[in-house]
Amino acid sequence: MNEKKIKNIFVSGPITPAFIADSIAKHSAKTDIGGHSIFMGQVRKDELNGKFVAAIEYTTFEEIALAKMHEIREAIFEKYPLNCMHVHHSLGTIKAGEICLFVFTSSAHRKPAIDACTEIVERLKAELPIWGKELFEDETHQWKENK
Amino acid sequence: MEIEIISFGKIAEFMANRRLTVDGIETTAQLKDLLEKEFPALADIKYKLAVNKTIIQETAELKSGDIVAFMPPFSGG
Repeated sequence: MNEKKIKNIFVSGPITPAFIADSIAKHSAKTDIGGHSIFMGQVRKDELNGKFVAAIEYTTFEEIALAKMHEIREAIFEKYPLNCMHVHHSLGTIKAGEICLFVFTSSAHRKPAIDACTEIVERLKAELPIWGKELFEDETHQWKENK
Repeated sequence: MEIEIISFGKIAEFMANRRLTVDGIETTAQLKDLLEKEFPALADIKYKLAVNKTIIQETAELKSGDIVAFMPPFSGG
């Protein structure tokens, strides 16, 4: 399944548990799949000098991000025998405890699904122009840095 | 010539999107020097550039009408 069309990975607001559950449920018809791997990124309530992160506001340079994600998608399908791959990233304000990233890979066997999922998350964090602004409870902010 | 500057993340906090009319600027390296003088905070950030929506790794030549994006370190996920 090599998608040529550029997919939009961005969703406005948090990724809901219901959306994730529904996404899993949709795969029951694909009976050649034997293993799924899922990564979910959740907004962490980090502390800085006694202040806590209340939310992260995500922005992107959408055209570059989607073109880059398309490139990563093609490379991953080339490298691993996957049945499918789904990537969703939030934009806008996501509260601590909410899900902001959902990566879902499926394969006949577990290993490609797990390895592809890990590689997508690593590449996405390093290569996609997305910025997270950590908003504190007192309305100050700092810019998130990926570790 | 005219260059359109767009900025993202923390760079957008001090350098707003703008259209620059510049003389004697032919490359992205010269544009960086010019803007780092005007916005000293820019020099402290490890930023990347995109010219007309393509990320560049090395200095590129500029022509009138180009759109140059200033992008601070990515922090998605």
